[in-house]
Amino acid sequence: MKIRSSIIGLICLLIMTSGLFAQNKDENISPQRKQAIDSLALEKVRDLSKYISIIGNKSTPWSESQRVIERAVELFMENSEIGVSSLSKPDVAYFKVREYFDRLMKLNYDRVNIDWYKIQYVSDLERQPDGTYVGVITIYQRFQGFDKEKGLIYEDTTKKDITVYVKRKETQIGGRLIGFWDVLLGDIRVKETSK
Amino acid sequence: MRIFSFIFLLLLPAVVFCQNGSFSSFTGDESKFYAQTKQVNQFFRRFNAEEDVKGKRTYTGDSIYRDLKSRKKYLNILFDTYSSAVSTEDRNSFIEQVTNKKSPVFLDFHGSDWFSEVTASFIYKHEKVDIILYMKIEKQNNGYKWVFSNVYLSRFNELFSHVGDTTNLKLFLHPLSHEVDFMNIHKVFAEPDKMDYYLDRYYRPDQLALFVSEIKNGNLKFESVKEVKFHFLQIPGWYFEVSYFNRNSNNSGWLISNMLKINEKDKKELLRNYIHEN
Repeated sequence: MKIRSSIIGLICLLIMTSGLFAQNKDENISPQRKQAIDSLALEKVRDLSKYISIIGNKSTPWSESQRVIERAVELFMENSEIGVSSLSKPDVAYFKVREYFDRLMKLNYDRVNIDWYKIQYVSDLERQPDGTYVGVITIYQRFQGFDKEKGLIYEDTTKKDITVYVKRKETQIGGRLIGFWDVLLGDIRVKETSK
Repeated sequence: MRIFSFIFLLLLPAVVFCQNGSFSSFTGDESKFYAQTKQVNQFFRRFNAEEDVKGKRTYTGDSIYRDLKSRKKYLNILFDTYSSAVSTEDRNSFIEQVTNKKSPVFLDFHGSDWFSEVTASFIYKHEKVDIILYMKIEKQNNGYKWVFSNVYLSRFNELFSHVGDTTNLKLFLHPLSHEVDFMNIHKVFAEPDKMDYYLDRYYRPDQLALFVSEIKNGNLKFESVKEVKFHFLQIPGWYFEVSYFNRNSNNSGWLISNMLKINEKDKKELLRNYIHEN
């Protein structure tokens, strides 16, 4: 039932966005198109946030974490990286996306809380030389790590600047060629915010 | 000239979330994150008053798009208020100029006269060094990209410390060397560290060329980006610097950290030196 509704949703989205985007490929993105693309990008970021919370959750079984990691990796462009810095270690450490999720799963706490602030900031979309578009979405996350005996032993709030790539694609539905905008996540800069 | 030297010194160096299997939103205090200038993109938008108070993009035709009152408010929050680097007088004078009713001035992301200064750490011949990379936006096809326009590493400068030296009376090739097919030129190469005495006194080394050469030869390995700043010369009569302030305050994010009145001649010189713009 869930899969069926997802497919229907996807088709609706394709039809909706194809109507908005079925014009000249080279022209600038209009405000209306931008809004529709922003919604698609934010949907991916929401999925990512959800997956991070599941992977980081200590009660998630290993096999389920692995499945979710696969889903999370699918959100990204190939070779995307996550650059992490903290207040104590300002040098940026770079991780491949899968490595970052593996490390998140293996964090040495008895329990973790991963919460997300409601704020999200979406940049303009800038056209790249190859004709695709790029944007950045900023979100904030609060992380808490607990020890069985000592209680809360680590806490931070991080700003995540997420690269979003937007590419125009075409698909055939019922013999008709429909254009749509595909959104993939790219590099993420994770920066600890001051306490 | 003093101003130019000062600038030279300055330049050197969504929403459903999961917790324990159930989705919930976090109700922590977000006001500082709303106030924070979160992206450089937001700096541009606030500077030009091209977004509403919630950060939503506005466009031509929207009532608040580039609204003069909003601009004045936004511009005031775009300064680092924790520092006295920018005087109140300069700040007011700058805001007054860019929000002039008859001829307001806006920042242009795709325009020239602004560039980024990236401090990055590298390993140079087994030693950790910081290199300043000067980057600028360049148009290609109908899109844009960041390109390296110049770099600065003090070690590269030291290689040319004797260029223009007029006090040395020993290290030169005599004026009739050509008559002997420059057979004496070997002495230039016998002492490599003194080779710069023999160069055209007006020669200005191209650090970017050295940088590329060292990277390609495997002598220079990238480690990490340490700091990013931006320098703007788009506003007539002004230069200002934008830096990131990571602090628990409404006055945080990308803010104006330095500002100077500067004439157009000095501006051109500055751009020529840093990003090779004519």
